[in-house]
Amino acid sequence: MQESIQEMNKMDNKQTIKISGIENLSKPVSCADNELAAEIIAEDFSFYYGDKAGVKNITMNIYPRCVTAIIGPSGCGKSTFIRSINRMNDLIPHTHSEGKLTVYNQDIYDKKINLVSLRQHIGMVFQKPNPFPKSIFDNVAYGPKLQGIRKQSALEEIVERSLKSAAIWDEVKDDLKKSALALSGGQQQRLCIARALSTQPRIILMDEPCSALDPLATGKIEDLMTKLQKSYTIVIVTHNMQQAARVSDRTAFFCLGELIEYGLTSKIFSNPSNKQTEDYITGRFG
Amino acid sequence: MKIIVRCILDKIFTAITWITVFIIIVLLIIILGPILSKGTSAIVFKDTIEFRKMESSIHNRGSETQLAAQITQTASIRQAIYDTIEKFKRGVDTESLTDQARAIYRDFGLQLRYKGLGPQQYTEIRSLSKDIRDRLDTAFASEDKSQIAECLNFVMQYADDPRFKGTSAEAFFKMAIDFKTAVEKIDLAKHYEYVKAVGELEDLLTQLLGPRPGKALPATAMNQFGATRWDLAEKLMDNLLWKEEWVAQKPGQPLVKIRTERAKEFAGTEIEPLFGYIKDNLEKILKPQWRFYWQYFIDNSTPGHYFGGIGPEILGTLLLTLLSMVFVIPLGIISAAYLTECTTDNVVVRIIRMCINSLAGVPSIIFGLFGLAFFVLFLLPFLGLPSKPCILTASLTLSILTLPVMIRASEEAIKAVPLTYKEASLAMGASNFKTFISVTLPAAMPGILTGVILSLSRVAGETAPILFTGAVALGPVPSSIFHSTRTLSYGSYDMAVGDRLAMMVPHNQYGMVATLVILVLCLNTSAIILRSRLFKKLHGH
Repeated sequence: MQESIQEMNKMDNKQTIKISGIENLSKPVSCADNELAAEIIAEDFSFYYGDKAGVKNITMNIYPRCVTAIIGPSGCGKSTFIRSINRMNDLIPHTHSEGKLTVYNQDIYDKKINLVSLRQHIGMVFQKPNPFPKSIFDNVAYGPKLQGIRKQSALEEIVERSLKSAAIWDEVKDDLKKSALALSGGQQQRLCIARALSTQPRIILMDEPCSALDPLATGKIEDLMTKLQKSYTIVIVTHNMQQAARVSDRTAFFCLGELIEYGLTSKIFSNPSNKQTEDYITGRFG
Repeated sequence: MKIIVRCILDKIFTAITWITVFIIIVLLIIILGPILSKGTSAIVFKDTIEFRKMESSIHNRGSETQLAAQITQTASIRQAIYDTIEKFKRGVDTESLTDQARAIYRDFGLQLRYKGLGPQQYTEIRSLSKDIRDRLDTAFASEDKSQIAECLNFVMQYADDPRFKGTSAEAFFKMAIDFKTAVEKIDLAKHYEYVKAVGELEDLLTQLLGPRPGKALPATAMNQFGATRWDLAEKLMDNLLWKEEWVAQKPGQPLVKIRTERAKEFAGTEIEPLFGYIKDNLEKILKPQWRFYWQYFIDNSTPGHYFGGIGPEILGTLLLTLLSMVFVIPLGIISAAYLTECTTDNVVVRIIRMCINSLAGVPSIIFGLFGLAFFVLFLLPFLGLPSKPCILTASLTLSILTLPVMIRASEEAIKAVPLTYKEASLAMGASNFKTFISVTLPAAMPGILTGVILSLSRVAGETAPILFTGAVALGPVPSSIFHSTRTLSYGSYDMAVGDRLAMMVPHNQYGMVATLVILVLCLNTSAIILRSRLFKKLHGH
């Protein structure tokens, strides 16, 4: 099965996808280019739940059109960090942040920031597939409708494009009116990705997107990530080391709320500079 | 060994659950069975000719020629009964006989004046008729048979007198003969008792057969007709045959009910066989027929709910229920949204929640009094409207009564919506309000509908809150929400207390209760269907 997935990966890599409006961004860029302008910049960023720090003093740059994987043991602040990027942590009462987190040169913890537009530019895919209890069409059309698109033909176009980008169009095109909850777990997760793509974000955050899925569905999602990488900046939190190695360009290792090591995936997995990282990757950790 | 014990325990547990289910079903049957079967008697029953008369005159229903034919068929039998009674009364009801004799005397005097007689002749006849009248008076007042015979003989000697031929004075002689035959049969000492008993008998006959033809119709519709249903007729027939009395047997002891045959009161008179005659001919007189009276649900009941018809009650119940739903659903959802979405758990919210919970336990009569004080006596005048109980105030009171239920159910439903839905919506860039309206609320709708079902049943069946705020037992069909209305719950309450007539027509009350139960079931069923459709639509299976 692994082999077949890798084959599919290869096949997908050859295809180039075009998404209207951001063609200029979809040029292949080498992620090894360090001199590239970073899209998300964390400077000494800390996030607190009450008095307890979720993440402490994180400083890292996330580069455009790369897959950045965040790995680490449970409770190390991976999710806290990724959810800080679109300020989803604001839902939790009694939290505050320190330091600076910049997206597109804008401090997103600035009081003047418009949360709605921020979140429209940053798509998010959650751990558990969470389509709305609505029809497939309504799920994908939800974001565009929020942006004020009311024309049915325009919505249909966006839905089709997003579903195609998320590689689920062929499976659902015949019954878009069906409830999204009737889909299988893997389909639901791809639908959620389609929903995240529908507003044409530039960054997609994925919080353990495959942890609730079987290997086959996981394979499909990973293919998709590789495809999307050409047009979007992807940040993924994962517990699956192989997955991080397979799909990511850069990997960050978090432990106890701190960033231990961050670099090119090939380097982290072959020659980690930190002892803790090495222990964790090789499975000797805790 | 242990495994065997576990298996047995498992089996016992299963058996207990089955038994419980069985008991619940039996209880349901025990409760609903009589309600429904007795309720059916309001719609399917044996009607009588009186019922058809009532329908024809009040609702203009049925063929008039057919009815007229039936009335003619029964008229002769009825007339025979009335004649017997009249004849008997001529023998015993001496007071009215005296009055009649005086009236005849007056009539005759007038007749004489216009006859053109000479003054001497006039005086002679006039004094003679006065003499006859006085003799008759003496006979009627006397209890001595020989004296009566003497007086009557004196009167009868003028029976063939040409001077009285063809005048109203002839009635004197008819009275004399009737009285003579009556006196021969009855015990004169008992004649006051006879008068009383015959009065009672006539009253009962009026209830059974309706007012006598030719007499002025009573003002109330209820008294214009006899027994409209065969079961009622049988009950009245029993009253007619048997006299019930509460008799003290010993001083200080509770009274004992004694049934005596009414015919015995008339032993030896021509009334005695009448009872058997009425009993044998009752079917011929009333012509019972099986009847499916579906108009029960739409007819306006005539005063006192005597003939059935609960159209206004059903209308009022529906109006009240739906109007209070109009108030309670938005209020409940908004309150629940505030409690779950807009606040964190602080002291104020805890106090609010505690108040809501205690509100759910307040007796409903308190809500009724509150509604009277606040809505009727304060709010309506405050808004410049007449301060009187009406549908609006009643449904406002009911909505306050059921608000806690609604808030609690909506709150639970909203809380049960997975946080992931909300997260997904917020991550798409939706505002909190937009998220609530377009994601949380639709997902919570099945749960909220459960709250609606609970409140609906409560509202439809409540009586105490609407006692003072808009329900009436009798009254016109409401034409706006500023009028009071009849409702099923209040109607059945009203018939259960203080209405003696309701005892005669219990089927009306059963019908109301059964209709209320069925109405609530229907409302609930539609809400449940709506809920399952919604659930299917949301979840796709």
